Amino acid sequence: MNLWLIAATVLLFGLVPCAVVMLRGSIVEALVGLQMAGVLQTVVLLLLAQGFHRPPFFDLSLVLALLMLAGGLVFARMLERWV
Amino acid sequence: MSAGSIVVPVLVALGVAIELACCLGVLVMDDAFDKLHFLGPAAIVGPLLIAIAIVATESFSQSGVKALLTAALLIVASPVLTHATARALYIRRRDHIEQDPRPRP
Repeated sequence: MNLWLIAATVLLFGLVPCAVVMLRGSIVEALVGLQMAGVLQTVVLLLLAQGFHRPPFFDLSLVLALLMLAGGLVFARMLERWV
Repeated sequence: MSAGSIVVPVLVALGVAIELACCLGVLVMDDAFDKLHFLGPAAIVGPLLIAIAIVATESFSQSGVKALLTAALLIVASPVLTHATARALYIRRRDHIEQDPRPRP
């Protein structure tokens, strides 16, 4: 275990509050929890890529950040109109 | 002991602490608008600190550039997402909770 992997492991505990918000809050609060979990996962993937010394793994965090933007916008638009 | 061996752990620890504090903020706040405020530092300050730590370790190699690119993408995406979510919440509340006092045409 190096510094990066320890940081990634510690950061994973941040998913617990996000899960609690998603399960117990209103639907918009759940979207906020989902966005926070997405940010957290992006950072965790960054840390894991650096921790394992695998430069191609950085693509995963890059793609996740991009998809999080698209997914969040779709969810927000859907909550605004239909749900 | 070099400066990098001190700076990098400090940057990573700060980034992780900010992310965890923002997670707790999202959990503790009552209103969805209040929760939204905690997305900003989590998506801007935390990833930026960690990307700087990676650049300090790897310099501007493939890893460093991709880490910076990811942080930049999060910095751009976060305000857009926050605005879209707040707009959705406002419209939902206005339609279902608050009544518009102005007469409709």
